[in-house]
Amino acid sequence: MFIDTLLIGVSSGAIYSLMALALVLVWRSTRVVNFAQSGQAVLSTYIGYEISARTHNYWISLPLAILAGAILGSLVDLLFMRLLLGRAKSGPIGEIAPVIATLGLLGLIQSFIGLIWGNAFLHYASPLSGKGFTFGSHTIPFSPQNLFIVIASAAVLAIFGIIFKYTDLGLALRAASFQPEIAQLAGIRVNRIRNIGWAFAGAAGAVAGAVITPTSTLSPNSLDLLFVSGFIAAVIGGLDSLVGAVVGGLVLGIGFSFILQYIGGSVTFLVGFIILMVVLLIRPRGIFGNKVSRRA
Amino acid sequence: MPSRRLSPRSRALLFLLIGVVLLAASRFIGELRTYQGAQVAVYMIAIASIILLTGYSGQISLGHGAIMAIGGYGAALSFTLWNFPFEIALLFGVLVGTVGGVLLGVAAARLSGPYLAGTTLALAVGLPTIADQFHVLGGEQGLNFDIGDPPHWVVRLGGSDFTQYKWFFWISTVVALIALWGITNLLHSSYGRNWRAGRNNAVAAGLAGIDVARGKVTAFAVSSALASLAGALFALLLGLVTPTAFPLSLSFAIVTGAVLAGVGNLTGSIVGGVVLVAIPEISGALTTHLGNSQKVSANLPGLVMSSLLILVVLFMPNGLRIRKFKK
Repeated sequence: MFIDTLLIGVSSGAIYSLMALALVLVWRSTRVVNFAQSGQAVLSTYIGYEISARTHNYWISLPLAILAGAILGSLVDLLFMRLLLGRAKSGPIGEIAPVIATLGLLGLIQSFIGLIWGNAFLHYASPLSGKGFTFGSHTIPFSPQNLFIVIASAAVLAIFGIIFKYTDLGLALRAASFQPEIAQLAGIRVNRIRNIGWAFAGAAGAVAGAVITPTSTLSPNSLDLLFVSGFIAAVIGGLDSLVGAVVGGLVLGIGFSFILQYIGGSVTFLVGFIILMVVLLIRPRGIFGNKVSRRA
Repeated sequence: MPSRRLSPRSRALLFLLIGVVLLAASRFIGELRTYQGAQVAVYMIAIASIILLTGYSGQISLGHGAIMAIGGYGAALSFTLWNFPFEIALLFGVLVGTVGGVLLGVAAARLSGPYLAGTTLALAVGLPTIADQFHVLGGEQGLNFDIGDPPHWVVRLGGSDFTQYKWFFWISTVVALIALWGITNLLHSSYGRNWRAGRNNAVAAGLAGIDVARGKVTAFAVSSALASLAGALFALLLGLVTPTAFPLSLSFAIVTGAVLAGVGNLTGSIVGGVVLVAIPEISGALTTHLGNSQKVSANLPGLVMSSLLILVVLFMPNGLRIRKFKK
């Protein structure tokens, strides 16, 4: 039972990590918490669903959904965030303008999805079984799809890790988020790099949406709770830290899984809220966050 | 604000006059519009709570729907469990909501911008689930908050065709006017000045001897009192409270209403309240015109609302009014 719960926790934790990673990528590049992230992810998933419905092939739809997510992320930055950050810096809603604007974008994307696909629950099927593995007579809740979720998430995280650590692009991404002006002076095109950060974030969210959705149903709001979990995970790990996002996601996923198993599903988000409060009040920069205070 | 030049006494008279006119007018208005009028009044209170919090104290909350739920549950619980008269039940709801607001406010004062937004969002998602945990809160079915027919003296005053909806309208309007009158006075007092000072420049306000952190907590508490009042009235209009009566979309809607109205000015809450009730109504009419598609009717209000929100944030940060924002 313990191992079962742990495995399910790792599977949902992997998804939270991806969502947290998406939030961290945007935060590092633009200093904005993108509340529209779940909307972008769900739109990419709908695109994947549409392709899968036409081609009857999940494996074709998955990479295209990820590509769509990346393009979408890039477009949100180009068409929306630049305009916003250029305009709404002061005034009555000053520093909360990005929060409000990304919420507006979330609503816009979700109602747009509703207009095109309707609000009914859709099934984005994957060829992998959702039934648990069986060992002898014992069936565990961990299914092939869960295994795929873990593998896909690990692959994405590894790819990002390699990009950030070993490539020039990764170096530019880190420099642009660390000191944008100095990076600019050193010849990095900060705006373009920033845009790539948004595209990566969109892709990470799309992977999360496209691999988790086959285990449940698809609707315009189906990834909203994932955003909240991703946010909590990102804050636990430190909004600045990519490693933190992964660790935060896994901690939260495993924690939620045990709460679900031993206490009951309905309190998970309340516990999530309490964890969030405790982390923010005791260690506001998170486990892996850098030393600069994030409160100011 | 327009009442800035008014003395406290003439401001009180103005609110009284508005109240009398509205109550008298309710005789000549149809049932549906009366109910919508009551809704506008409730949204006004909720939006005023966000305006006070965001515009005057510089904090944000995406979880005020949860505070409304506390108010609604507090009122309904005291109404069904202890048979409080509904007036006292409303006040009890406000009391519970304010306590919750103080607790949250202490934490909120230490957080800024996106952190506060995310935390309150988590609260809005997490809190309604409590209702499933405690039998006394009625689980999925929720709690009854049916205050019945208007009492005799009201019927005598309002005429023989005085319906329950008109009674709701009277209650909501009177409560909203009293609440807004109180808040206007509060914002003109040293509290309001200190909040604005802390919002505009925390360091300077601190040097001038203002306890900025405490001001933020008080602002959150007052804002929560307003939100829980709105929640209690919301429950009264519905006749019950359920965990699903205060969804995430409600929290978003009141923030949207406040931003559309312009968070710099309390009078905007009227605009915001009307907009929140009018947009679904107008979209409904538009949908019928467009041929009654299910997809359109379910999503047009959201589409209009979100587009307006984005346009306002980008181009009219003072809200849908002409007046310039003043610090």
